[in-house]
Amino acid sequence: MGTPTNPEPEPAPSPPAESPDGVDLTLIRWTLSLTPLERLELLQDWVDGLAELRNGRISER
Amino acid sequence: MDGSRSVKFRGLLQALLRHEVDFLVVGGVAAQLEGAPIVTFDLDILYDKTPENLDRLLSLVQELKARYRDPAGRHIEPDLAKLQTLRTHLLLTELGALDLLSEIGAGRTYQDLAGRTILYELGEDRVRVLELSAVIESKEQANRDKDRAVLPVLRQTLILKNGIRGAEKR
Repeated sequence: MGTPTNPEPEPAPSPPAESPDGVDLTLIRWTLSLTPLERLELLQDWVDGLAELRNGRISER
Repeated sequence: MDGSRSVKFRGLLQALLRHEVDFLVVGGVAAQLEGAPIVTFDLDILYDKTPENLDRLLSLVQELKARYRDPAGRHIEPDLAKLQTLRTHLLLTELGALDLLSEIGAGRTYQDLAGRTILYELGEDRVRVLELSAVIESKEQANRDKDRAVLPVLRQTLILKNGIRGAEKR
């Protein structure tokens, strides 16, 4: 009879995707993974994109 | 300026730095730099009200051809007296919407909050940004609908940030 192998450790539970009050935690984890400059560029992209939508233009980026 | 043009955050920050204005980034941009995924359409800064700084700030707003966002459509430009006495200046500039604040929340000034900031490097630029816990406090104190709307996201961001810091220390 061979030596019993250790059972695979239980995988860590996934962190919650949403807070109890409905905040998307995945989005927060993603922005926290960015550098401050990347966060500012992300904000600029969102604002520019919304301005394009407001003006009825279609971005070709 | 074309009123439909969106704000240029880095351009505004670089203009403030070029004019050597003593300021703290506050509001939505501070929250975003601290990691909270929220959208804002203007740059809010808290400025120091020393006479020298007011001169530098006036020079900046003149260069940017700033005027107040007046609902009646009047053309009103900021001047030294207004910068000295008024608490809030909601301006439209060549680089988009810029809000100059001499106080935020419950009357807290640049001097009150300068110790609760983080120096962020944005490329070659270095700007002082109000830390997230102080952004949350200012929005709790202001307690307007638009402040209350973003508080859940800001609070959850702070919880996750603190969790990451705690894990890094372990």
